[in-house]
Amino acid sequence: MNRRQLIRCTFAAAALVAAPSVAFADVNRIDVYITGDSNIINFWNNIIKPAYESAHPEYTLNVVSARNAIAPIVERTLAALGTEVDPQVDIFDENDPNLPAGAIEKGLWVDFTEAGLQNYDKINPVTIETNYGLPYRGTQVVLAYDTTKLAPENAPKTWAELVAWMKENPGQFTHNRPDTGGSGGNFVRRAIHEANGRDPSLFRIDNYVQGESDELLAKGFELLKEIAPYTYGPGSYTADNMQSIQMLAQGVITMAPVWSDMALDAVNKGVLPETIAFTQLTDLAFAGGFADMTVPTNAGNLEATLKLADLVLSEEIQTKVVTEIGAFPAIGWEHLPEELASKYSNLQPASIPTFPGGPWVSAISDGWFRNVAPHVNR
Amino acid sequence: MSTVEAATAAVKRRHVDGRGLIGLLLVAAPVTLIGALILWPVSVSVFDTLTVRGPDGRHFSLESYRFFFSDGFSLRNLWLTIQVAAICTVLLLVISLPIALYLRFSETRLAGYIQALALFPLFVPSILLAYALIRTLGPNGTVDILLTAVGLPKIPSPYLTPWGPIIGLVWDNLPLTLLIILAGLSNVSRASIDAARDVGAGSFAVLWYIVLPRIRGTLLVAASFIILGLFSAFTLPYLLGPAVPEMMGPFMRRTIIEVDDPLQARTQAVVTFMICALFAMFYVRSVARTRREQSS
Repeated sequence: MNRRQLIRCTFAAAALVAAPSVAFADVNRIDVYITGDSNIINFWNNIIKPAYESAHPEYTLNVVSARNAIAPIVERTLAALGTEVDPQVDIFDENDPNLPAGAIEKGLWVDFTEAGLQNYDKINPVTIETNYGLPYRGTQVVLAYDTTKLAPENAPKTWAELVAWMKENPGQFTHNRPDTGGSGGNFVRRAIHEANGRDPSLFRIDNYVQGESDELLAKGFELLKEIAPYTYGPGSYTADNMQSIQMLAQGVITMAPVWSDMALDAVNKGVLPETIAFTQLTDLAFAGGFADMTVPTNAGNLEATLKLADLVLSEEIQTKVVTEIGAFPAIGWEHLPEELASKYSNLQPASIPTFPGGPWVSAISDGWFRNVAPHVNR
Repeated sequence: MSTVEAATAAVKRRHVDGRGLIGLLLVAAPVTLIGALILWPVSVSVFDTLTVRGPDGRHFSLESYRFFFSDGFSLRNLWLTIQVAAICTVLLLVISLPIALYLRFSETRLAGYIQALALFPLFVPSILLAYALIRTLGPNGTVDILLTAVGLPKIPSPYLTPWGPIIGLVWDNLPLTLLIILAGLSNVSRASIDAARDVGAGSFAVLWYIVLPRIRGTLLVAASFIILGLFSAFTLPYLLGPAVPEMMGPFMRRTIIEVDDPLQARTQAVVTFMICALFAMFYVRSVARTRREQSS
C-alpha cells in the first residue's frame, strides 16, 4: 500500500465514521467542495456564502476543503448516480468534468448550456472549454514590467519584440525555473510554441512520443539559449514565482513573467509598487487556465445549487473575483464596472492557450535543466 | 561453594537477566522504529537501484549507477554538493572555534549576550532566513542601499550563485557547531591552561598544544554533523542557489517529482547516503574511542 492509498483509506474510514451524522444532516444545506488554496476557501466563506445566504435564507452553504483528495468524492458521487442516495455533494469549485472517463456519458454532470442560468450568456467565450464546466475564475501568465524604466507604449507585444527588447536591455529580464511555480514554466512553454509555428495544437496530453517530441522541445530550448546571455545574471533563474516578483519589487530587473492573480494580489498588498504594469503577447498569449465549477445531476439541492452557480457569475461576485483574489473574471469585461475594466484592461485574456501535463512536464523540466540552464554561467 | 553463596549468585544472575530483559524491551521501540521507518525503506531503495525488471523477473544490474557516474550533469551536482559541504565545514569551524573559546573562558556578562546571539539562528526557520538574505544580500538589498549611501559600489550579490546557499547554510548551522565545540571545550580544564601559561606558553602555543589536542575528537564530530546536515539541505540551496548546478537536495526532489524518474532519484539518494555514511562512521568511531578512553 503506498502513501496515497493509505491516505485514501484513512479518508474513507473517516467518512464511514462520519456517515450517519451526515446522512441526517440539514436537507437545506448546499455542500461546496473546494480544490483551491486557502485564499479560495476564504473567498467562498467570506464573500460567496454571505451573499448567497442573504439572497436565499432558507439554504446554508457548507464549504468543504477537498484539496487534492477530490477524486474519491467524485467517485462517490458517480456511485450514487441512479440510486436514491444523496451524494452529499452539490458543487465542485474546480473540477475537470472529463474525469473519471465516461462520467459525462453517464450523465453525471449538469450541461450548463441547458441549465437556464441567467448569467451564462455573459461568459467570455474564450474561457469555455466544455459544456459541463462553468468557468468562474482564471489566471494566466502575463509579463509584468516596471513603467519607470519601460514606457507602456514601448512594451513588447510579440515574441520577436520581447527578444529584441531583451537584447537591447541585457540583464533586465528573468524568469523562474520551469520546475516550480509555473510562471517561468509557461514562459519556457511559450518559447516552445514560438519555435513550432505558434501552434498549441501540436502538444496534446496523449501525443508525447519520446525522441520525436523531444525534437519539438529542443527547438524551443534553442530559442531560450539564444536569449540566455541577456537574462539577469546572466543565466540566474529565480527559484519560484514569488522570487521573480521580489526581483521586480527590488528594482533589479525591469520585466518578468508572472501569474496574473499573484501579481495583482502583490500590487493590492503593496508588495509590488503601483508603477508595475502588465502586458500580454498578442501573437500568442502565455498559457493559463480557468477553474471550472461542476454540478452533479444527482445533487441533493440541484435547483438551489444552480442559483448558486448563477450568483457566482453575477457582476457582484465576478467583481470580487478580480478585487479579492486577483483572478480573471469569467464574464466579459463589458458586464463589469467600467473603472475595473479600464484598470485591468491589459490583462483581458483574448485567448488562453494551454499546454498539456503528463509526460511533457518531465521532458520539459529535464530538457531545460540539462540544455538551457547550463548554457551561460554567471 | 556453600549453598548460601550459590543461592545468592543465582539471585544475582536472575536479577541481571531481568534487567537485561527490561533493557531489551526499552530499546525495542526505537530499534523497531528505526528498522521499520529507516532501515527497511533504505534497503528496498538500495535493492531497487541494483536490479532491473526483465521479462523473466528481476535481475542484478548496475545500470542506474552506470548512468549516474557517466552523466556529467549528475556528477556536476554531486561535485557542487561536496564543494559546498567542504567550504561550509571549514568556515563553520573557523568561525565557531574563536566564539566558543571566548564563551568558555570569558566571565563577563557580555559573554551571555554573545551566546544568546550566536544561538539565535537555531530558532529561525530556514525559509525565513532565505527571504531575509535575499532582502539583505540580494541585488539592491539592504547592504547595497547602505553601500550606495556612503558612495561605495554595490556588492556582487551572492544570490543565485553557489555562495548564496553557503552563506545561508553557515548561518543556519552555526548554533549546532558552537554547541558541540562548547561541550568539547568543557573537557579542557582551566588549570592545565594556567599551568601552560606559568611555564611561559603564548596564546597560540596554548591553543595548539593544550586546547586543540583535547578537542580533536569534538571537532571531528562537529564536522561530521555539519556534513550530514549539508548533504540533505534543501530550502536554502533551492531558494538561494543557482538553477544549475543544483545541490543534491533540490536535485533529488526535482528528479522524483518533476522528471518523474524514481529510479534515478533513488540512485542519487543512495550515492548521497554512502558519502554521508562515511562521515557517520567517523562520528561513531570517535564516540566509541571516547567511551573506551573514559572506561579505561
